[in-house]
Amino acid sequence: MSSTTEAPYFNISDPTFAMHSEEVRSARERSWYARTNYGIAVLRYAQVSQLLKDQRLSQGSGQWPAHNGVHSGLFYDWWTTCLLVLEGEDHHRIRRLVNPAFAPRHIEPLIPRFHELAEELVDAYAASGRCEFVADFAEPYATRVLCILLGIPESEWPTIARLASTIGLALGVTINEELPTIEDALGELFRYAEDLIVDRQQNPKDDFITRLVEANKDGESLSDAELRNALVLMIFGGMDTTRNQLGLGIQSFLHNPAQWDLLAQRPELGKAATEEVMRTNPTTTWVTREAVTTFEYEGLTIDKGTTVHLFTQSSGTDPLAFPDPEMDIEGEHAPHYGFGGGIHHCLGHFVARADMTVAYPILARRMRDMKLGGVDEWLPDSGNTGPVRLPLTFTPAP
Amino acid sequence: MKIHVDRKLCDNHGQCTITAPSVFRIDEAGILQYEENVDDSLRADIEDSMDVCPVQAIFIVDDK
Repeated sequence: MSSTTEAPYFNISDPTFAMHSEEVRSARERSWYARTNYGIAVLRYAQVSQLLKDQRLSQGSGQWPAHNGVHSGLFYDWWTTCLLVLEGEDHHRIRRLVNPAFAPRHIEPLIPRFHELAEELVDAYAASGRCEFVADFAEPYATRVLCILLGIPESEWPTIARLASTIGLALGVTINEELPTIEDALGELFRYAEDLIVDRQQNPKDDFITRLVEANKDGESLSDAELRNALVLMIFGGMDTTRNQLGLGIQSFLHNPAQWDLLAQRPELGKAATEEVMRTNPTTTWVTREAVTTFEYEGLTIDKGTTVHLFTQSSGTDPLAFPDPEMDIEGEHAPHYGFGGGIHHCLGHFVARADMTVAYPILARRMRDMKLGGVDEWLPDSGNTGPVRLPLTFTPAP
Repeated sequence: MKIHVDRKLCDNHGQCTITAPSVFRIDEAGILQYEENVDDSLRADIEDSMDVCPVQAIFIVDDK
């Protein structure tokens, strides 16, 4: 990589590196990109939007295990063959086959149950006027939504949550030392997914997994192993992200109480609230890409193999694209990239959007005068962020 | 049948180029190009493209 201009520099593996910071804002004002200890970070909306879809970049997460000293085994084999990191015709074939199961028309019938679930979870703690939002709402809600989607009993949510969280350790820098634990969990989730597949092959239902089992189009089909890998990816990719995003939304509304009041009065703004939370406070703080070839872009030579991190929060609050970048659930805004974009655009975004659109207005209506109620604890900003612990106080309302 | 892509919504993600590659493509500038008149035999692929579009920008406008 070479450039004549002096670009800002970020150490993004420093656990104190903050996305919502003067450091990032002033860098974005000076330059569309920064250099990082991995490669480059793209900071502005226009360039994030372009590079996200640029065919000269591939999904850059495939090398993650190898970069951390993991070169073989159950996790390595799964990760390096799953849809997230596949490219070209292999990616397209699997995506063509699994996409239809995520269509909005299949998600809509599940929405009434999302409503009931959100109300039930708030019912359990509302009278006390206190909750620990992650344990009391975000984690059970996100996991039970997955159970509803997959057609498995909601009572099994603690198992799913435990397995998904354990496999999630693979995204941390401690992947190598945690590997035996991660692989035990992955093996257990494989068996769980395999049992579901066999069950739906023998007892087809009008549900998500049956649609995947039956996915077969123009002579293309999904093998049992590919289907198992895809199901495990959905559980892994769907639980943590939704749980974290719900908590980040609460953080945003703690800082914007007038918006919380507005949402309580106008529940139809739930969709706008979801989009605004993701634009200004996304869990996926960057989308990873890797240059497959050396190319020139906006005066910069990006060498083959360079890791390119597309910063979502920075791009979503870029004053060049959003003259008034503050959260505004009544405003009109350009689309955000909290779900990534291009051919690797998040597969489950309709589900995530639907479940958060349901949850935020119910929480706003029932948890009035919401305030931080103790010591909160957060994951680092780099990668996928969110609250580990988020105690709240509020005035209960029906 | 005739199809329409709402350019105000389209964000050039290209998911439709996976579901219906003979109808949709992303050009060198990264912009979606598509055939407006589509043979009815491709209906299932077009419907999949409509379903999968992240911004729901694809419509069948002239459905005979």
